[in-house]
Amino acid sequence: MKYAVKMTGPVQHVLRAMLEDAAVPRYGLQISKQADLEPGTLYPVMARLEGVGWVESSWENPDLSIKDGRPRRRYYQLTKDGAEQARLALAEISDRREKRRSSLSAAQPSPLGPSL
Amino acid sequence: MNGRPKTEPQPTACQDDALAGLREILRITRPDADVELIRRAYDVAASWHQGQTRMSGDPYITHPLAVATILAELGADDQMLCAAMLHDTIDISPCTLAALSGQFGAEVAALVAGTIALDQVKGNLSEVLAAVRSADTRVLPIKVADRLHNMRTVEFIAHAKQLRKSRESLDIFAPVASQLSMDIIGAELETLAYATMKRNRHARSIPGRLLIAMTALLPVAARTRWCEEWLGELHTLPARRARASFAIHTMLGIPRLAYTIRNPAPGHRRAG
Repeated sequence: MKYAVKMTGPVQHVLRAMLEDAAVPRYGLQISKQADLEPGTLYPVMARLEGVGWVESSWENPDLSIKDGRPRRRYYQLTKDGAEQARLALAEISDRREKRRSSLSAAQPSPLGPSL
Repeated sequence: MNGRPKTEPQPTACQDDALAGLREILRITRPDADVELIRRAYDVAASWHQGQTRMSGDPYITHPLAVATILAELGADDQMLCAAMLHDTIDISPCTLAALSGQFGAEVAALVAGTIALDQVKGNLSEVLAAVRSADTRVLPIKVADRLHNMRTVEFIAHAKQLRKSRESLDIFAPVASQLSMDIIGAELETLAYATMKRNRHARSIPGRLLIAMTALLPVAARTRWCEEWLGELHTLPARRARASFAIHTMLGIPRLAYTIRNPAPGHRRAG
């Protein structure tokens, strides 16, 4: 199946981290820590995921930041569709990995060649 | 309704001098203006605001005069100019709407009442925006001019209040100004509001300044969002070292981010 996002390593890390609790909005640094990605890698991924509608972002309630006199935080959350697509895509990837592993252990070269 | 001379009149003890700048502008934008009526509105406002000062220390009357001057530059009519002069008399002096109505007519009093009513609108952003947009089309320019002068002098109020006013200016007043074809004013409101929001300690720090500078690589429409987002992230990092590292790593990703924003959903072929 073809997905709207190219499932690169960093994309997978981000999606796995966010799927752990899909309903919780998080700001960039939190995701960066959970996905173990540097911010320079993370933000382009977030922009990509947001661009295709898998993730949506919004500013925190300005009253909170104004009370503390600090800039607002931007929070990210998986959309319903995004969470679904992400689960499917990640499952497909682990499936494929599983198959490859079993075919390797059976010492049979895959007819399709290396799949990743 | 745009185009604005560069100088603002500086009121002095002598009223004629105080109104000289306004009169000069009216001579160009409204040669038919009832200058005598407007001078009377100034005198009445000045007497109600007698002894009151702005946070800047200036006599309070400098504010309504500046608001009227902004409106005069836009070619506003006599009633709007009078209402601008008198817009704060009800709120912060014992003056009443009935008194204004008696002296300047029901129309001017209604405009002043309209600006007060807008101040009292509460609720979330979309509710406020809806209320503002449905307000009298002659009240809105007065509120926008009022906000513009308040933003020009925003440095004198408390920091938290500065942030709130800036937020409102961006979310409510700048869009309303554009809607009213007061584009130059909308642009100035945005510039002032952004400048205020950037005036916090993280924006002034070296990592903050580097990040702000690097956002120049992003498409214009995306700069403020990422700028604000990163300053917010910087704020959550307690250690200076962590902030420096965050700034460097984020900067390294900016070219890629710029590419992603410009190509939000490129077609791609999945390997395998």
